Amino acid sequence: MNLGESIRVAWDSIRANMLRSILTTLGIMIGIAAVIAVVAVGQGGQQSIMKEMEQFGSNLFYITVDWRRDELPTGKEFTMQDIEIIKANVPELEYLLPCAQTYSTIKGRNKSKTAQILGTEADYARLHPLKITAGRFLNNSDCQGKRRVVVIDEELAQELFPRDNALGKRIVIGNQALVVCGLLKAENSMFSMGTKVIYIPTRVWLDIYPNGGISYIEGGTRSPEDVKTAMQSSIKVLEKRHHSEDLYQGMDMEQEIQAVNKVTGVMTLVIGIIAGFSLLVGGIGVMNIMLVSVTERTREIGLRMALGARRRDILIQFLIEAIVLCLLGGIIGMTLGIGGAFLISALAKWPPLVSWTTVLLAFTFSATIGIVFGILPANQAANLDPIEALRRD
Amino acid sequence: MIKMEQINKIYRPHSNPVHALRDVDLHIEIGDFVAIMGPSGSGKSTLMNVMGCLDTPSSGAYWLGGVEVSSMNSDQLATVRNQKIGFVFQNYNLLPRMTALRNVELPMLYAGVNKDERNTRALDCIGRVGMLDRIHHRPSELSGGQCQRIAIARALVNNPDIILADEPTGNLDSATSLEIMNLFQSLYQENTTIVLVTHEEDIAAFARRVLTFRDGKLVNDEILNPHLIEPSAVEGGGDI
Ligand SMILES: Nc1ncnc2c1ncn2[C@@H]1O[C@H](COP(=O)(O)OP(=O)(O)OP(=O)(O)O)[C@@H](O)[C@H]1O
Ligand SMILES: [Mg+2]
Repeated sequence: MNLGESIRVAWDSIRANMLRSILTTLGIMIGIAAVIAVVAVGQGGQQSIMKEMEQFGSNLFYITVDWRRDELPTGKEFTMQDIEIIKANVPELEYLLPCAQTYSTIKGRNKSKTAQILGTEADYARLHPLKITAGRFLNNSDCQGKRRVVVIDEELAQELFPRDNALGKRIVIGNQALVVCGLLKAENSMFSMGTKVIYIPTRVWLDIYPNGGISYIEGGTRSPEDVKTAMQSSIKVLEKRHHSEDLYQGMDMEQEIQAVNKVTGVMTLVIGIIAGFSLLVGGIGVMNIMLVSVTERTREIGLRMALGARRRDILIQFLIEAIVLCLLGGIIGMTLGIGGAFLISALAKWPPLVSWTTVLLAFTFSATIGIVFGILPANQAANLDPIEALRRD
Repeated sequence: MIKMEQINKIYRPHSNPVHALRDVDLHIEIGDFVAIMGPSGSGKSTLMNVMGCLDTPSSGAYWLGGVEVSSMNSDQLATVRNQKIGFVFQNYNLLPRMTALRNVELPMLYAGVNKDERNTRALDCIGRVGMLDRIHHRPSELSGGQCQRIAIARALVNNPDIILADEPTGNLDSATSLEIMNLFQSLYQENTTIVLVTHEEDIAAFARRVLTFRDGKLVNDEILNPHLIEPSAVEGGGDI
């Protein structure tokens, strides 16, 4: 019997018991749907995280004081002198920015708003993809001369000064008034959670918050290969100046990417195990229903044998039926999974990634389950004695 | 056509053996119409199963169309059943989900016949049993007699050497039984070899030759209707 005819026979028998068939494949449906959805959302998420990270640049690194410490030992904070000395001692460096940050209320004309106040320097704009739409970013003379200037984004400008052009207007932070010198294109980062960042010179920041200090140092090298050396040399300088070991921690993009990969890897593994169990249960369900089908159709099997079906024809027929059943579950599961992925992604605000490999994988997987769990019932059917089978009612 | 020598069939030979066929010697020629009679349990169905290559004898030799089949493996037997034998059952054994046409096409699927030829041959055989107006009906939409006609068409479709029918009228009323027997007789006139099992004298009366079995033994072999066509008169008669 040829393949097309076998598939037709299989489909006829599945259709004759449609409800039963669909219920049987529920396990496979759920398993495949879970795998597809999680892989699609996971890959989509990973891709957007990666893209966001790549924007920061692979030639960047950060130095912070070890977060695991409860308290920063006094006198160990970063100072502006540290920056100058590191710059002088680490030739690989192209940029080195002292960054200070805090969250605070800022006031416009008569509106106020909470924002992240980032004290930084002119080179920040060269390390990060900021788009100036009006005015300018902080420049070196702002930073050296402690000019009271601030750069905000258009959305925040719109909120603080709904009727006017914000450029040149005053914003009050703490007890200081600063002039808006530049506007940025608004960009909502996945990490920002809706809080706006505003940029002021580090030295001004230190004036506004005399009790605060430089939170982290951001460095950049000419080429990505130098990142590790530059980071380590910078940390050495700091340790020597502050007479302390293991207090300062460096971090670069490579580590960040590895961390993300690790998280998504664990997530994929966990879901993989759950889906695996679901598919196992689904497979056993299919085996069970195929055994029922063989019993119900014993006389049909006997008849087919009497009409000239060889054992292998019967084996293949039931194997194909199991595969078609599993593929049916797989296709429904895939549809549900893709739908679910788009739904989750719509909520999480990143695009799902349904690759052809995933779809192909789901197909092969369903078919494999069909073969693995169909072989026992099919073999049972093929080994029936034609006379016994014909006599059965 | 069929030659059996010292055929024995013993069911459950180790525990509680049943000797269903005892030293059966039998010769059936091409083109003959044979009825097998005998009381219940005398081994008629057992003989049909052996003849139809559904079962193998415990001992003895069996030639079908000049080929020794008693030592064949199950795949070879399947091919013999497909090519040389057409079965007609008491309970029709049509597949309920398929139309009459597809039921008749079934043996050709296992013979690897292509789609167009399957259709042509199936329609031809359905025509021979007079059922062309019912080809798209399912068995549940047909009467018992109509089902048996379709089953006979299915038995004919691979041009078998012999039609084996085990009580083909057992489920039918007497009028329908006679119709079916007339059909068999017309097939016989068209040179089909037929062996059928029956309990009823008036069914057996359609055959040319009647074999009677008792306790697994062939006890009587008579020519009932010598006026019917002699198989030996048919071209290529006798053993192949
Ligand atoms: N599979 C089997 N296992 C054991 N004994 C069997 C088997 N099949 C048939 N027999 C026995 O073999 C003997 C012959 O059975 P068979 O079915 O050939 O009789 P029959 O002539 O067809 O009877 P009936 O007219 O009732 O159909 C019976 O005694 C029966 O009990
Ligand atoms: Mg019988």
